[in-house]
Amino acid sequence: MTRDNWTFDFPRPADGDLPRTAAEAASVVRDAIDAQQGLRLAGSGTWLEAGHPVRARRTMSMRLMAGITSYNPADLTLTCGAGTTLAELKEATRAHGQWCPLAPPGFDLVNTIGATAAAAVEGPYAATFGRPRSLVLGLECVDGTGRIIAAGGRVVKNVAGFDLTRTMIGAWGTLGAITQVHLRLRALPAATECWSVRVDRGDRTRLDAYLRGPLAPLACMKAVPPVQLPPREDEWHMVQIGGNTAFVAASRAALRAVGETVPQHETALDALAGLHRPPARALQWRWDALSLRLRDRFDPHHILNPGLLGEPA
Amino acid sequence: MNALAEELRRLVGDAHVLARPTQLLVYRSDALPGLQRDPGLAVFPGTREELIAVVRVLAAHGAPFVTRGAGTGLSGGALADGITLLGVHRLKRIIDIDPVARTATVEPGVVNALLTKAAAPHGLHYAPDPSSQTACTIGGNIAENAGGPHCLKYGVTLDHVVRATIALPDGEVLTLDRGDHGGYDLLGAFVGSEGCFGVVVDVTVRLMPDPEAVITLLADFTSVRAAADATSLIVAAGILPAALELMDRPTIEAVESSIYAAGYPRDAAAVLLVEVDGPAAGLDDDAAAVERLCRESGARDVRVARDPAERARLWQGRKKAFGAMGRISPHLVVQDAVVPRSRLAELLDSIAAIGEKHRVRICNVFHAGDGNLHPNIPYDAHDADESARVHAAMREIMATCIAAGGTITGEHGVGLDKLEYMEQLFTADTLDAMCSLRDVFDPARRANPGKTVPVRSCREWHAAVSARSVAGA
Repeated sequence: MTRDNWTFDFPRPADGDLPRTAAEAASVVRDAIDAQQGLRLAGSGTWLEAGHPVRARRTMSMRLMAGITSYNPADLTLTCGAGTTLAELKEATRAHGQWCPLAPPGFDLVNTIGATAAAAVEGPYAATFGRPRSLVLGLECVDGTGRIIAAGGRVVKNVAGFDLTRTMIGAWGTLGAITQVHLRLRALPAATECWSVRVDRGDRTRLDAYLRGPLAPLACMKAVPPVQLPPREDEWHMVQIGGNTAFVAASRAALRAVGETVPQHETALDALAGLHRPPARALQWRWDALSLRLRDRFDPHHILNPGLLGEPA
Repeated sequence: MNALAEELRRLVGDAHVLARPTQLLVYRSDALPGLQRDPGLAVFPGTREELIAVVRVLAAHGAPFVTRGAGTGLSGGALADGITLLGVHRLKRIIDIDPVARTATVEPGVVNALLTKAAAPHGLHYAPDPSSQTACTIGGNIAENAGGPHCLKYGVTLDHVVRATIALPDGEVLTLDRGDHGGYDLLGAFVGSEGCFGVVVDVTVRLMPDPEAVITLLADFTSVRAAADATSLIVAAGILPAALELMDRPTIEAVESSIYAAGYPRDAAAVLLVEVDGPAAGLDDDAAAVERLCRESGARDVRVARDPAERARLWQGRKKAFGAMGRISPHLVVQDAVVPRSRLAELLDSIAAIGEKHRVRICNVFHAGDGNLHPNIPYDAHDADESARVHAAMREIMATCIAAGGTITGEHGVGLDKLEYMEQLFTADTLDAMCSLRDVFDPARRANPGKTVPVRSCREWHAAVSARSVAGA
């Protein structure tokens, strides 16, 4: 992507503010500290209205810090730059029967893994396969003092030292600009099917029992009408069933006992998930003394996304 | 210390404050033999109010302290070197079990296995199952972000903690969560902070529904390499067993010669204990796939536990393996490292070679599915030459695991035991950032001082201390 493609009405990143390495990102941050300038952090720049207005005239985009740097399918782990899109991850992992089951709202072609981790946005598979807080094994970031932090590791279990990975995930870049992530992948289920199921509005008993029981699907989302319709007696839910063939058959039978079912394309639920609005966490931020101390320790000059979380100026 | 002891006695009663060296003797080590420190004082509050009051008195005295659960840790993390030991094992109340929300709220001294026992009537259990689960406390599990065999499928402690009320070392009581409603993941930072960030007052954890069906398999191999290869194949095939454990011949011998004999084949070079669980539908297919992959890797035999009793017996051998090693020698180093799962076979060969080079006996019993190695070395700590060889071998094993892209601890924590490896694993900037994180919770660094991150890694330490003494004046 070249600069000319930037069409968003936030300050375009200058050439120097599109780092390709953590060292380059650190130099941007140090430069901003010296200039006492705020830095807006962006991935693809598609999700700018997530929080309070950012007090920054300068944007650092991680979009060029893209690409998979290591992937060993036998370990089900992968390392990539923060600007890598989820579509790139999907393509690389699907060839090995694996995937990164995050499916956050938005579009895979522009959603970057760095932004997904920074905002800790999760999709419909979170309960089954994990969310950013559990699927990110480690990450590299540049904090507001210019330190390059290599948090966590690349292996699937790790308790060495204090958990800077968990600290950074969901912090919206205000503690550190994520430059690289180490991910845990999952195996694609041997078989998947997508169904819509109709339930009576006001009586979800059978659906809930199905969702809490042993034959539960991978994901379930309520289908939302695009326009306001007159009140209806029923509502539709989209269900993704996955597992080995024997399980899928049993789960499908159980779903049919819930209500009328309609088969859907296997990507229908993913498409529905993409349209959902994520929770407005950045707008509802809770600032207590501990959180303020955390911010001050990692970004004492308030360089990183200043104002986004509505912190006291 | 005397004024502090007097004040603590008034709070919790004479019987629950220990100050005589002979009384304190039992608190000089945790479950890792070889590391010993003598506390100066020990205090055991019995209620939530007492616990908070004790933390506040310690703060008022500027007294450093070490929180301790059952003392089953394996990194020397719960040792107090001349300072106050704050034991939470009397706080063992299960405050609430909510079968609908599938959560439990407990005090920090509740024993892990007793929580599962209390949840059992609801068809629920607490998933993290460290081998010490019949003794270790939930508070200690939170401090260490404890794992266990079934964490392969169900995740470690952090994945099961919803919310915690904590006392910061300065005595402030607050509630931490994962930030899901807008906030930093302060709970994620707290879990696994090895007692350096504060004290758990109560914690709400998730309970999991008991699986509808469980199949436990024991695969018998004539080489460790073949067992490791089978592990990598099962992981790569996308099967996610509930647990996938490897034990080698020295471990099998120790177990089979003990009261925990589980019926493992004594002539096997290694066995894999594999458990698949979940809905009954399709589970047989998963078990069949595991059996096939084991046989393809060279398993002589794959046995399926016929009933719950046999399953329990197979698991008892695994979980009591460390104890069984007590028959071999007076002391035992229990190691804990994680490596990429695709390199298990190669690294086990390297570890065996390191053992031969230093003439020490290594028993491997570990969470193979996670790549979480536990190379254990039985030895006699009173034999100076043997101790030196054991420690040289350990250092070489750790360096090998780090070089392979692994880490120095998967579930036991850094404590005192692994401090020396932190600088090999993390950059100076990263260690300094860890110090910053600690300062957020405990700027005075009174909670478990000297553990987890080497003090010399903290650039601002002296500056922070002097700034605080000015601010606190």
